[in-house]
Amino acid sequence: MSESTVLTMDKVEAGYGGGLVLQGLSLELAKGTITCIVGPNGAGKSTVLRVISGLLKPSSGTVTLGSEAIGGKAPADILRLGIAQVPQSGALFPDMSVHENVMLGGYPIRRERALLKSRIAMVEEMMPIVKERAHDKAGNLSGGQRRMVEISRALILDPSLVLMDEPSLGLDPKSVAKVAAVIRNMASEGRTVLLVEQNVRLGMNLATHGVVMEQGTVRLTGDAAGIADNPEVASMYLGKAIEK
Amino acid sequence: MQIVQVLAYGILLGGIYALLASGVTLIFGVLDVVNVAQGAFLVFSALFTWQIWDMFGMEPLLLIPVMGAMMGIIGWAIYRGMLIRVAPQGPGMTVLLMFGVALTMEGILNLAFGNKFKSVTPAYFTESLKLGEIVLPYPQLISGVLAIVVLGAIYAYLRFSWAGRALRASSQNRDGAALVGISHKKAAGFAFAIGAATAGVGGVLLAIMYPIFPATHYEWIARLLGVVVLGGFGSIPGAIIAALLLGTMESFASTFVPQWAPLFFYGTILLILVFRPQGIMGSKTREDVA
Repeated sequence: MSESTVLTMDKVEAGYGGGLVLQGLSLELAKGTITCIVGPNGAGKSTVLRVISGLLKPSSGTVTLGSEAIGGKAPADILRLGIAQVPQSGALFPDMSVHENVMLGGYPIRRERALLKSRIAMVEEMMPIVKERAHDKAGNLSGGQRRMVEISRALILDPSLVLMDEPSLGLDPKSVAKVAAVIRNMASEGRTVLLVEQNVRLGMNLATHGVVMEQGTVRLTGDAAGIADNPEVASMYLGKAIEK
Repeated sequence: MQIVQVLAYGILLGGIYALLASGVTLIFGVLDVVNVAQGAFLVFSALFTWQIWDMFGMEPLLLIPVMGAMMGIIGWAIYRGMLIRVAPQGPGMTVLLMFGVALTMEGILNLAFGNKFKSVTPAYFTESLKLGEIVLPYPQLISGVLAIVVLGAIYAYLRFSWAGRALRASSQNRDGAALVGISHKKAAGFAFAIGAATAGVGGVLLAIMYPIFPATHYEWIARLLGVVVLGGFGSIPGAIIAALLLGTMESFASTFVPQWAPLFFYGTILLILVFRPQGIMGSKTREDVA
């Protein structure tokens, strides 16, 4: 484990009752990097995120944040430690306003009013939509706008690690570009980003590091460009080499 | 003038239906549990009110916070003790459980109070407020107004407090709520407590309006479910609109065609549901739009 390692997963096994989805997965994330997990459907990509965020308890192995073991902790505790998750879709509260949705991101710090207020102001500055559409119901936003609000909500706790499940899913190219810019911006602020992408081309262009998963384990890791160029990856998951 | 009188009476009745049904719809919204014991909670509270009034002769309305808190605690205990274990088995099992709770409560009440009608009759029981030609009996007026006030207070609490926000978040998106650190179990226990507390408050109001005996809970739960289905399961604004609509319908029917009053109540529900199966404010399920 190097100095800048933020999160380590060591030989993690986890599943949903019907069998193990993660079968001894090991992974390291360095501070300020964007790591993208790719792999075929059913490889366990989203399950990695669920284990880190505490939505799924690992049956064995360790998950360590800094020097603290977090495997099996409750989602609320993991949030407080600075790991926020932006899930695949539909994470918002559709009948609540954008402002309320973002505010609820601060649920764990609700008693520290001044802090919450300053965080909301910080997010409003980073993500203009939060202020522009403050009083609109989240359910009335477009897919791209919802994704922005979901990211805003995750940022309220000023997380050191942000988990994102398919941030480009269902978005038009313009929105995808906006989301990508926000992700790069987060990394440049020193946050670590772990994302899962079906869109390998987009994911590897965005990421600094790539992880290829297969059947619940890590098949390959490396810098994103290397993964994108790897002929084995290309033929395994894409049928052809990745265009750059 | 008679129309205004009937309308006023209908709104007061609707206010009471709204308070009681909002408890059922709140519980459903957060827990996906159809609380068929809400009628039993209501009668339980009403008969306890009668007992205390009968023993001490005190003003029954003073019991509103007491009965609200008592039913809230009982509701929370039922959730933590029983419902939480049965909930993973799905809505069918939770309905059976709550039906069992209702029958058990009815049995206890039968043993304690006997199968006889009880009425709480404070001094103002037979008096009315006269505004020109409009005559509003005090029990109905007081109960209706208090129901609306309590409902307004609950609504404001759910709207502006963190506990209320957490509860609404959990009802709109359970996974999304977990992601921001809201415990579904806590939100659900809180929702069940508030839902049961509305029956506690409602029981006191009911006791000064109608004679009660244990088995009347069947009649009440039928009405409440009717209101909730019409409003759209899980929607509090829907339940309020439906309650006011049905209260007014019932008031008109019982004034002009009394023998048809129940038909008007349930007929309205049937008719609206033919054209709007999801209820007045109900949203279509996720499966419909996916």
